[in-house]
Amino acid sequence: MSVIELADVVKRYQNGEEVIAALDHVDFRADRGEMVTIIGPSGSGKSTMLNMIGLLDTPTEGTVHLDGRNVTDFSEDELTEERRSGIGFVFQDFHLLPMLTATENVELPSMWDTSVDRHDRAEDLLQRVGLGDRLNHTPDQLSGGQRQRVAIARALINEPDILLADEPTGNLDQDTGETILTELTRLKEDENVAIVAVTHDEQMLEYTDSTVRLVDGVVTEVSGR
Amino acid sequence: MSVVDFLWRFPSVQMAWRNLGRNKLRTMLAALGIIIGVVSICSLGMATAAIQQQATSQLGSIGNEVSITSGQDSDTDGVTDDQVDTIRNLVTDAEVVPQKTNSTTISSRNGREVRVSVTGVTNAAALYNLTSGEAPSRLLSGALLSNSTATTLGIEEGDPVEYDGQLYRVQGLIEEENAFGFGGGELVLPESGLSDQNHYNTVTVVAEDSSTATEIGGELNQYFNTEDEEELSINTFGNAGQVGGFLETLSLALLAIGGISLVVASVAILNVMLMSTVERRGEIGVLRAVGIRRSEVLRMILTEAALMGTLGGLVGATLSLAAGLVIFQMITGDPLGALQWSSAQYLVYGFGFAVVASVLSGVYPAWKAANDRPVDALRG
Repeated sequence: MSVIELADVVKRYQNGEEVIAALDHVDFRADRGEMVTIIGPSGSGKSTMLNMIGLLDTPTEGTVHLDGRNVTDFSEDELTEERRSGIGFVFQDFHLLPMLTATENVELPSMWDTSVDRHDRAEDLLQRVGLGDRLNHTPDQLSGGQRQRVAIARALINEPDILLADEPTGNLDQDTGETILTELTRLKEDENVAIVAVTHDEQMLEYTDSTVRLVDGVVTEVSGR
Repeated sequence: MSVVDFLWRFPSVQMAWRNLGRNKLRTMLAALGIIIGVVSICSLGMATAAIQQQATSQLGSIGNEVSITSGQDSDTDGVTDDQVDTIRNLVTDAEVVPQKTNSTTISSRNGREVRVSVTGVTNAAALYNLTSGEAPSRLLSGALLSNSTATTLGIEEGDPVEYDGQLYRVQGLIEEENAFGFGGGELVLPESGLSDQNHYNTVTVVAEDSSTATEIGGELNQYFNTEDEEELSINTFGNAGQVGGFLETLSLALLAIGGISLVVASVAILNVMLMSTVERRGEIGVLRAVGIRRSEVLRMILTEAALMGTLGGLVGATLSLAAGLVIFQMITGDPLGALQWSSAQYLVYGFGFAVVASVLSGVYPAWKAANDRPVDALRG
């Protein structure tokens, strides 16, 4: 069973008088241990699609299933709980909190959850992405690649089913980007997590299990399945 | 476990503390606004407390008296014996002291002359304190003389003074503690010395305290006078009660001024919190995206405001305490008066106001940040 599934999803925006369909009857699914890449030119609806998968946005039409449950009509608070327990995010700009150390940044999603102590897991994850010697560094003491690895560790802290990556290599040079992608490929198997990445970087296609090509909100090609 | 470790178990406190530390200058400036607000509230409050304390202690000697004289519509030129009896019947829980007054000039052997007021009274103990010993409660012979007059004239205890052709031996010297210093010198004689006056000029009722005096004054007024006819003029002085009322108004006005500065300070906090949440919009979006609940974001930002208020309030209260000690030293001469509850309460109010105003100022920015849709916030 797919861990995340979009069925016939439409997303329309009102832009002044005009109604724009950012997504136009889109189907999508991803499984655990699989890396799916959504590729397309800018403005094609990639980010909107990622927001749907990440439960940050709700569709105008169609349904969203998470782990077989229909979450389409969930309230914002219910969606927050789902994101907290099941979804990890990696952003293009890393989005680490500057006043927290690497370990604290990784712990952040579980910070308010006083019932569990994720400190050891945070350190373990940082070890695994090769930052065992940078645990107490703040983001401004880390390079771009290191920051993105902290962000990946953060995305995995709550043992999610899905890891979403929005242009994860967008702000990195080619070599660093490749290292990050290798890292992700390894983690998706270790953690048995579905990775959904959005990019317009063709380099990523070498690492993915399947690719969804999006143009003007319409899926034009699905490859690798 | 230390207090710090304990606090660190509250993620909102931890996050808020770190966030405040990110822009120390801004945090300090916002806190400075609060400090100024607290100091102005506290020091104005404490200043009025000091003034009030000083005024009450100065008014103390006459504040508890009711003074009764002949009214506008009276047939006689004074208070009659009958009226005094009636007053005595009405007033059971206070001393009723009828007095006859006049004035005279006393001369001494050294040729000096002093004009003094003359009071004929039996119960001198109720009205006068002597420099040595107590005034007699039944003054039947002899005289009492103001200490200052005696000094001027070179008169000592045991010396004679003359009034209306009769000689009186000075039994004691009156200690003048009246802070307002009215009256000048006073010669106190037995009532019999002024027996040619048929009526009493004044009847003084000496009560327990000023509120009892006010009560008695009201009762007597109701008994003797109607709206159209004033048989007796009854004065509870413009005494401590009224002065206290004035001081209360004054202190309210001063507190309002202090309050305004705190309002200004909280607007500054509102601005700072709003700016910092707008700046951190993307960051808060990330928090929400990774599953931080709205209530948690709300708590975090409210905690920031509360911490700022607590910090500013504590520093402000400390500075105010120092200011209070100085104020009390200057006004009453006793700096420790600032520690009494009547004055120290303003430290508590000031601190409380600071925290409450800060949290209130944080409500809107916190609510706004918490309810921003993460997808919008992430877009920045």
